Amino acid sequence: MTKVFDSGNVACALAVKDVGVDFVAAYPITPQTSVVEKIASYIAEGEMDAKYLPVESEHSALSAVAAASAVGARVFTATSSQGLLYMHEILHYAAGGRLPIVMANVNRAINMPWCLYVDHQDAVSQRDTGWIQLFAASNQEIYDSVILAYKVAEEVQIPVMVNYDGFLVSHSSMPFETLEQDKIREFLPALNPPWRLHPQWGGTFGNVTPSEEYVPYRYALTEDIKKAGDVIVRCSKEYERLTGRWHGGHFETYRPEGAEYFLFSMGSMGKEMEIAVDLLREQGIAAAGLRLRIFSPFPEEELAALLPTGAKLLVFDRNLVYGSAGGALLQLAKAALFNRRDSLQVIGISLGLGGEDLPASVLVAKAREMMEVCK
Amino acid sequence: MREIRLHGRGGQGVVTLAELLAKAAIKTGLEAQTLPFFGVERRGAAVKAAVRLDHTPIKIRSQSYQPGILVLMSENLLEIGLADGLADKAVIIANAEKPLPVAKQQWLLDAEKIAIRNNLVFGGEPFINVPMLGALCRVLDLPFSVLEETLKEQWSEDKALPNINAAREAYDTVWDAGVPKEEKSNE
Repeated sequence: MTKVFDSGNVACALAVKDVGVDFVAAYPITPQTSVVEKIASYIAEGEMDAKYLPVESEHSALSAVAAASAVGARVFTATSSQGLLYMHEILHYAAGGRLPIVMANVNRAINMPWCLYVDHQDAVSQRDTGWIQLFAASNQEIYDSVILAYKVAEEVQIPVMVNYDGFLVSHSSMPFETLEQDKIREFLPALNPPWRLHPQWGGTFGNVTPSEEYVPYRYALTEDIKKAGDVIVRCSKEYERLTGRWHGGHFETYRPEGAEYFLFSMGSMGKEMEIAVDLLREQGIAAAGLRLRIFSPFPEEELAALLPTGAKLLVFDRNLVYGSAGGALLQLAKAALFNRRDSLQVIGISLGLGGEDLPASVLVAKAREMMEVCK
Repeated sequence: MREIRLHGRGGQGVVTLAELLAKAAIKTGLEAQTLPFFGVERRGAAVKAAVRLDHTPIKIRSQSYQPGILVLMSENLLEIGLADGLADKAVIIANAEKPLPVAKQQWLLDAEKIAIRNNLVFGGEPFINVPMLGALCRVLDLPFSVLEETLKEQWSEDKALPNINAAREAYDTVWDAGVPKEEKSNE
């Protein structure tokens, strides 16, 4: 185990190197750039035995890794914002093709107007593409989540997107620990896909299908992604036994003892929220932090089971669902609790768009505003 | 927690300064975090970075508004630095010969001269980030040996040596200018 002090992007690149990826195709975009620069440099210096394909666009980057994945390679790409949007068509291909691709998405606001700073609109816009989406809030969690993502993707045959906030995490240096090769091999054996394309074996992949074949295929994807939440938690526990490192299951909860108000968020905001919870507790308010780690599949049953009687859920969305009151987490939380926990109050706001800064003092003020509405 | 905010200009190595400070602090057993803020990245544009040091893991994921220490790579960054906020009892460390017109505790050094004396001139420009780092470590009471070790890890021996010498000179000669009286503007 080596202690490193470096940026979130380097934590991501190191994990990609350590898991033994065979093929990387990528197109640089702010704030993702240093991830793929670092990987290109590992390969050029002979520290990483993989093929790196520079491409002319994100659409081609994901197309290339999808093709490489279909012939049985362990693959990686990374992007942000407009790059992720440009991949949209191939996101569906990759998930429909049940390809165990891992991609990092360094969250950044969407144009126009042009903006380089963080929000989650890029990832939230890809909710219905059939990808698993994880959100990390520290450099250690990025490193560990990339390794976890391969484990999960290869078990459930669904691609995984590892999200983390642009600049606030991607360019912030923090201490983290890597993992020895033998431990990674124990956790993540060599890739052995159940099928793959091979020129000598013949066969086609993704050809025109009649509805009687298409329908069960689609339902299988939605059933399998639903089950993937538990797989992620099981694999996280296995990883914890190996490393002692734990970032939470479906959620990371903070000070839930006797809590009335649950401050629900995802990404780096969820880490700052812990400071906000401490401040609210000092003010005599029974607040708890609830940081979502798995955006897709959204843990509906787990959220319903986690909240105590009389709890009030305050949802902080770093994205917008245009025309609705709040963002995607608010909608998903309400849908999860409807019919399950109808008596609970759920209220939410969108904030922190385009890098609007969210220090704990702002989170406390916003939480108190929502508490007033709950009364 | 100790929070330091550094103000410089693109190309002066402010982000490297922040990283080196954090790495030196970690060697003393502290937790550390750097958070650079990138505007429109152009050589010469004003840039800033925060460094946070604490005894427990750092949870903050937002910008720095009330740093206890403000580092100015040039005295003409004073207004920008003050506009971004300071803690009440903040200390300023500035690359300046004379005290800056603000009623704050100040530590000063002529970082350009130190860089020139120690051969840290590249492309005709003195590189002042390591002298500023030396001064900052002194004000933070970090032992020089820790800084020296950090610089040796950062660069090969021949490149590290002028940096260590410059850091040493800054560490030894940064001076306490006290709290000057704030200059009144002509009304």
